[in-house]
Amino acid sequence: MSRQSRAQRRGAGGIMGPQSALTDFLASHNISANQIRLDAEARRRAAQNNPDGSGEQQDEEATATVTENATATATADTQYDPASTEQSGRGQRNAGAVSKTEKQKKEQKVIEKIKASKKFQKRKRQSGDSDDEDDIARAIFQERSAPLPGQMENCALCKKRFTVTPYSRNAPDGGLLCSRCGRDLDPDDGAPKKKAKRVNAGAGKRRQIQSKILDGDYHPGAKSLMTLCIETLAKNIHLAEDLNNLAPQVIDKIARKLSKQRLLNSTTLSLFLQPSAHDVFIYDAAKLTGDDFIRIFQVVPGLRKLKVCNAIHFKDDIMDYLLSRHINLEAFHLHGANLLSESKWREFLEKKGQSLQSLKVYWTDKHFGDEALSLLATACPNLNRLKVSHNQKVSGEGVMAIAKVKSLQHISLDLRLDVHPDIYVSLLIDIGAGLETFSLTRVPDTDNTVLDAIHNNCQSLQKLRITDSEIMTDEGFVRLFTNWENKPLLFIDFQKCRNLDQAEPRSNPDNIGLCSNGFKALMAHSGKKLVKLNVHACRHISAAAFEEAFSEDKVYPDLVKLEISFCEEVTDFIVGSIFRSCPNLRELNVFGCMKVKDVKVPQGKLLVGMPTAIGMVVDGDD
Amino acid sequence: MATNSDGARNTKYVTMISGDGFEFVVLREACLLSPTIKGMLRGSFSEAKTGRCVFPEITGPVLEKVVEYLYYYHKNVNVPYVPDMEIPVELCLVLLEAADYFQLDKQMT
Repeated sequence: MSRQSRAQRRGAGGIMGPQSALTDFLASHNISANQIRLDAEARRRAAQNNPDGSGEQQDEEATATVTENATATATADTQYDPASTEQSGRGQRNAGAVSKTEKQKKEQKVIEKIKASKKFQKRKRQSGDSDDEDDIARAIFQERSAPLPGQMENCALCKKRFTVTPYSRNAPDGGLLCSRCGRDLDPDDGAPKKKAKRVNAGAGKRRQIQSKILDGDYHPGAKSLMTLCIETLAKNIHLAEDLNNLAPQVIDKIARKLSKQRLLNSTTLSLFLQPSAHDVFIYDAAKLTGDDFIRIFQVVPGLRKLKVCNAIHFKDDIMDYLLSRHINLEAFHLHGANLLSESKWREFLEKKGQSLQSLKVYWTDKHFGDEALSLLATACPNLNRLKVSHNQKVSGEGVMAIAKVKSLQHISLDLRLDVHPDIYVSLLIDIGAGLETFSLTRVPDTDNTVLDAIHNNCQSLQKLRITDSEIMTDEGFVRLFTNWENKPLLFIDFQKCRNLDQAEPRSNPDNIGLCSNGFKALMAHSGKKLVKLNVHACRHISAAAFEEAFSEDKVYPDLVKLEISFCEEVTDFIVGSIFRSCPNLRELNVFGCMKVKDVKVPQGKLLVGMPTAIGMVVDGDD
Repeated sequence: MATNSDGARNTKYVTMISGDGFEFVVLREACLLSPTIKGMLRGSFSEAKTGRCVFPEITGPVLEKVVEYLYYYHKNVNVPYVPDMEIPVELCLVLLEAADYFQLDKQMT
């Protein structure tokens, strides 16, 4: 399926306005959300006009009660202020006399009070400095001035007026308590609530485990002590002051955990910046500002490896600051820095490229392009690892420029512009001999010439990935793996290298994609050392080929992860044979293998994606 | 507990002693989960001979928690759904250090 047709299909669905699912549901039952809202507003208005609800003061003038009410609820939440409560009590009686200007004055007073409150300070901190103070205060004021349903009552302890809610507590000697007194009455109130939550969490446990299995991150038995500690720490990160005594790898684990929970911000960043450190890995910089990045360079002068994910605020001025410091990075991994301009990239590579050994640029769509790549050959003599992922600007010209960087050992490209296979061939001819990693993601147009070039030029390859090719043929794969001088590979990923003929999906007369013979040749060449194999959706590999590759006398001792999802011919017998031939296999993915129905899974192994109701299987029977 | 040369090698229990003098008698099998202790109990170290491991830089409460963890892990080997052990917040950071020291950072299979 081409990208274009996918886009067209999405467009054809029509654009929906902002309407909630609930509204849709109600509409289908002939209930109008708008009508409900109008009713609610009418009720609220009625409540405003009659805040006591007792019916005694129904005839009372309503003009002033709005502000009365606001004052009462505002003070109830913040501080006990006898003057204002008294005033509001009196005001209620003389409501008719309160003029409009006085009302505004009162409102102003409440807003002043809100500004001094904790809630306001907190909200201000959250929203940053951009918002106007008055706007925030007014927003809180309006929140509070909306009268709650229910009666007004005097608190049994402090005698203050307050609104009764379902949560109001009873006083020991009868009567009700305002929220403040209720809270003071029982300070341990928080604890039982927490416990109740934990009991509920048990229900989601199974789902959580299933999700972990899918992430390839599941181990039976207890978590490690370190993981438990880190999880506790992440929950209470606001209590931590510094992590000085911990080992760097522990700190890195904490950083990962925090980022996963999106807890990394300006405050928690300080925990990870240590003057003596050489590495700073930030896995989620979405909440960091430009100043925070500058702080990294200030606090860690000996920085050598920098990795920043979601680095939205990594802009030109930060690069300027980095250029002005005596920091020579050996590894620079930048993810999502879309605002960094091409000229700054050039400046960086020219000035700091000398020491650079590893450069990885992810999801910086427009500004990192051919020009930057063409500088690598001259500016970065020590570069051995290059990764350009999800890039919309790099074209064939850039790939040709990479071929001039003789020191490269690891290349990983995931480009959006089409690059002719000939360019990859010339790249492999130029620097293929030294390559250990060669990864091309989503390359629909690459053909057998690339495979032949790998066969002819690469001798030290360990990791090979070519995905989504729609042209390569089985014969090409056979040629690649037969009599190849390269040692057995450790990692192979040929995901979705298959025939894509919409009209006749089953027949594959030209043997396009990785089919039976290619798979057999692959296993014969690399099986001995292979650790991870992905042949996802290579659906023309026959059952016979699988049975031959995993026959009784074959053993693949190192294979840990095997992905054969959507290989249609896989049967129960093949899955059993795989478990027999791969003693150290941990995970086998069989999504969409409809012939897999009932398999015995040996202890400690994972079979993921059974197409039956059983779902994922983790078995410990045998 | 045996204290003479080879007598302690195959005892069922090992004594762990904290820096401030607390002693914990722990199932040897549970102790061996920690590569650090496993190393101490091997070969001709005095710990291996006497079956007594002293950890001068670890305090009683922390060692208690570590021992609790060792038993918790031992009890739950290959159990699919294991509830998390409660870690007191105030011990969190020291326990992290201890976990690093005892090399309890990987999931054993």
